[in-house]
Amino acid sequence: MARLQLKNVNKRWGSFVGVDNFDLDIADQEFLVLLGPSGCGKSTTMRMIAGLEDVTDGEIWLGDRMVNDLEPKDRDISMVFQSYGLYPNLSVYENIRFPLRVRKVPKEKHHEMVMKAVEMVELADFMDRRPAELSGGQRQRVALGRAIVRKPTVFLMDEPLSNLDAKLRVSTRAQIKNLQSKLKTTTVYVTHDQIEAMTLADRVVVMNRGRIQQVGTPTEIYDWPANTFVASFIGSPAMNLVEGRLDGGTFTGDGIRVEGLPTATSGKVTLGFRAEDAEIVPEGGEIAAPMYSIELLGEASMITWRLGGALVSVKTAKDFRAEIGDTVRARIPARICHLFDTATGQRIDTK
Amino acid sequence: MPHKTFLFFIWPSLLAMILFIALPIGSVAYQSLFIEHEKILIEAKNCGPFGCTSQVSVDAEAMARLRAEQPAGRFNGLGTYTNPTHLATDEIADIVATSKNFGEIRSRIMNLPFYKALIFTLAYTFIVTPLVIILGFIIAVVVNSVPKLLKGPVIFFSLLPMLVTPLVGSLVLFWMIDSRGIIGAMLQSLFNDPTLSLKASPTLTWLTLFTYGVWHSAPFAFVVFYAGLQTVPKDTLESAMVDGASRWERVRFVTIPYLAPLATFIALMQLMDNFRVFEPIIGFSAAASATSLSYLIYNDLRAAESPLFGSAAATSMLTIIGVIILLLPVLRRNWREFNRKT
Amino acid sequence: MSDLANRKPLPLALLSAVFVLCWLVIAAFPFLWTMWGSFKVEGDFFSRADWMNAITGPVTERQYGSPFTLAGYEGAWVQQEFWRAVVNTAIVTVFVVLISLTLGTLGGYALARSGFRYTFWLLMAALVFRAMPHVTLVSGYLLPFFQLNVWGYLPTTIIVLVAINQPFTLWMLHSFFLSIPKDLDEAAMVDGCTRFQAFRLAIIPVMWPGVVTTGLFSFLLAYNDFTVTSMLLSQENATMIPKINSFLGSTQEEGKVMYAVAAVVSAIVPLFVLILFFQRQIVSGLTAGAVKG
Repeated sequence: MARLQLKNVNKRWGSFVGVDNFDLDIADQEFLVLLGPSGCGKSTTMRMIAGLEDVTDGEIWLGDRMVNDLEPKDRDISMVFQSYGLYPNLSVYENIRFPLRVRKVPKEKHHEMVMKAVEMVELADFMDRRPAELSGGQRQRVALGRAIVRKPTVFLMDEPLSNLDAKLRVSTRAQIKNLQSKLKTTTVYVTHDQIEAMTLADRVVVMNRGRIQQVGTPTEIYDWPANTFVASFIGSPAMNLVEGRLDGGTFTGDGIRVEGLPTATSGKVTLGFRAEDAEIVPEGGEIAAPMYSIELLGEASMITWRLGGALVSVKTAKDFRAEIGDTVRARIPARICHLFDTATGQRIDTK
Repeated sequence: MPHKTFLFFIWPSLLAMILFIALPIGSVAYQSLFIEHEKILIEAKNCGPFGCTSQVSVDAEAMARLRAEQPAGRFNGLGTYTNPTHLATDEIADIVATSKNFGEIRSRIMNLPFYKALIFTLAYTFIVTPLVIILGFIIAVVVNSVPKLLKGPVIFFSLLPMLVTPLVGSLVLFWMIDSRGIIGAMLQSLFNDPTLSLKASPTLTWLTLFTYGVWHSAPFAFVVFYAGLQTVPKDTLESAMVDGASRWERVRFVTIPYLAPLATFIALMQLMDNFRVFEPIIGFSAAASATSLSYLIYNDLRAAESPLFGSAAATSMLTIIGVIILLLPVLRRNWREFNRKT
Repeated sequence: MSDLANRKPLPLALLSAVFVLCWLVIAAFPFLWTMWGSFKVEGDFFSRADWMNAITGPVTERQYGSPFTLAGYEGAWVQQEFWRAVVNTAIVTVFVVLISLTLGTLGGYALARSGFRYTFWLLMAALVFRAMPHVTLVSGYLLPFFQLNVWGYLPTTIIVLVAINQPFTLWMLHSFFLSIPKDLDEAAMVDGCTRFQAFRLAIIPVMWPGVVTTGLFSFLLAYNDFTVTSMLLSQENATMIPKINSFLGSTQEEGKVMYAVAAVVSAIVPLFVLILFFQRQIVSGLTAGAVKG
């Protein structure tokens, strides 16, 4: 059983705060994704779990051991690095065997364990090659193989797909998901790609500037972003956010007016809605403004307005045509809207 | 990496540097405050049939005892620093007071050994360094443009003057410029002056040493610049071409700015190395017309009877101060950069 | 790139060819001249009559019946026991290189991987130490070494050369280590290595090019040193360069100067071979510091 607990973990360098009060309980066998822009502290958090970075404050518990002061080698974890960290002088086979060698696993078991890992990552044909003779995807699989060759209590993966091309990323993503469900090992996965997070995670932790913004399942995060940061980070395209005033359930902004919002709050708010939830209408509608651009996406078209400094997009049928500058209208029903406090960015409950 | 691990890895190296670089500097500072013991003389009366004669001689036994007790010599405070063979404060004051014009001041100061060495050292450092950078750059640009086949041999032979031991390199040139050597003989016939000798006049000796310095170090600048040229961004060069820059303008506006940091690096290395110029003076047997600070120290330590530790140490301290002054701008720049980064 | 853009006007091409040729002559000719001349007698190498004699060697032919003679080499190696100096040099350089690299890789690795502020100060101190004229340091050693009775021996000189070499070695290896991704040692540590095992098993195997290059420069420093070896070694322990210098003092008599010439050529030849085999590493080493600076 390997439950991973981070209790009020902090990382500071001098006066710079890298990770601020990170508190999380990760269940056994869970696939947890740390998501955030670069420099948000997600990698630092993972490196603290690995023991590659000291914890300034707080405790990290692996199972029933407090591991703060343990060296990486004593934590019983394995990790896949962004640039893989393969040993260039060793063959694929020896790379995967390396953890067994240094951990003094009895020699007679090595071959069987390595072969099992090699099978799982489908590298049987490349065992004698050096990393330099492999493609990016194959190297990535060597790193995976090295991580799974022994049964660690926790897998850590630091942006393992970011050096692969788009196509390979999709297939490797599926492979990682499949491997994890087979091995049933608690996994922490760091990425800045929200699609990776949504597809892989049991739970996502969205981070920004060293702080946890929201913790939840991918659906929760997509449907109920806790603040404007999460709203603007999750989804492709990200949620439209328009600033304006709320008065008696009516939101008014530059070129947009939404009525019947189920809330008693008033004042400066930010209204959010997703491009795919709204629709273009010939008459009426909550948005009526000159079109800024039209982009053909293939399966749909994306209409964009410029409303009070913000770009607002709505998806529509692929055969929709209009000229830039024409007034185009869209329907934004109140039920698809999210409201956020403009000053704090926090969600305003609309129940 | 935690402090303990860091220390575990670095202590042997650190210990070596502390013991043999930092401590000796301390030792030099200490020694510079002392001076050799005065000779203990004893008078021995020899009384013979024709009366008594007294003979004065050095009491070797007493001297040895004294040396064993106080190996550094007797305390002299800053006396060594101010004496005529070092900063010569009294002499300078006297020269300034009694000389009629600036030219006389200059020539009289040039006769003081320390100033003579200092001026040569500075002249060597600040003349050779820029010449090395310029010549190295030109060679690099030209070699970069010759056919590939030639580049390998050119680099091979270029490395020779730099990697060969300075003493050996200067000897090789020294034999060639001998009046019976090929260059010496050629110069004589060129100027039609059978008495012409590069060793005779101080000016020519200085020039010879500078030439040696450039010959010895230009390859270094060449190799560094040459390697730098391989990394000049092609895009920028091509966009300059498209923008209509001539060959020279491309060098002037793309290559030179791109290589400027390398020039700083070469300058730093060269300043450090040239400031300790020493071997060529021995190789060219040039001590009569040109001495450097390093040579003065060497000479004191090689003094005929016993090494003049105090005198050598004082010159060493002055040299170290010179090195630090030379490095100050570099250290300041690094410090600023470091602060920006963290 | 297209040839059109790079084609040079003929005069410029000619000019660069002539320039390169000139530089080649300036750089290489003195050595070739001295090597050729080392097989002559003094009367030819320093010919009053005609400098062409140094090439054709008429006096040599008269004395030895052939335009080439090994007399200079025999005098230096056998009579003056230059071979002893060669053995001493071999001992000194081998040990200096080995010890320098051992200390330097450990220290350079620590400097490259520790993020603390003091690494900066250590590197700056190393830079200042690197700039110290060696003879000032020697004047610090001499008296204590006499007192401790360790003056004149090869081990003393080896240790001193190692220490003087350290600042440079540290800087160079430090920048080589910086070019190795941190992921590598971190992967090794997660895989179960201690810091030292990660260094030994994961880093050193990929560091060989850097170690070889740094080793070359340590070798050159020890091989080329005159200041330290001439001041710290006794006569019988002298290495090649001080030995050559001592020839100069005692070779005023006719013919003896050729011993020095032969010894000088003997000292150059190993360097020749070294450059021949390690040209690429030397060039990369010279530029390693520049990449950072």
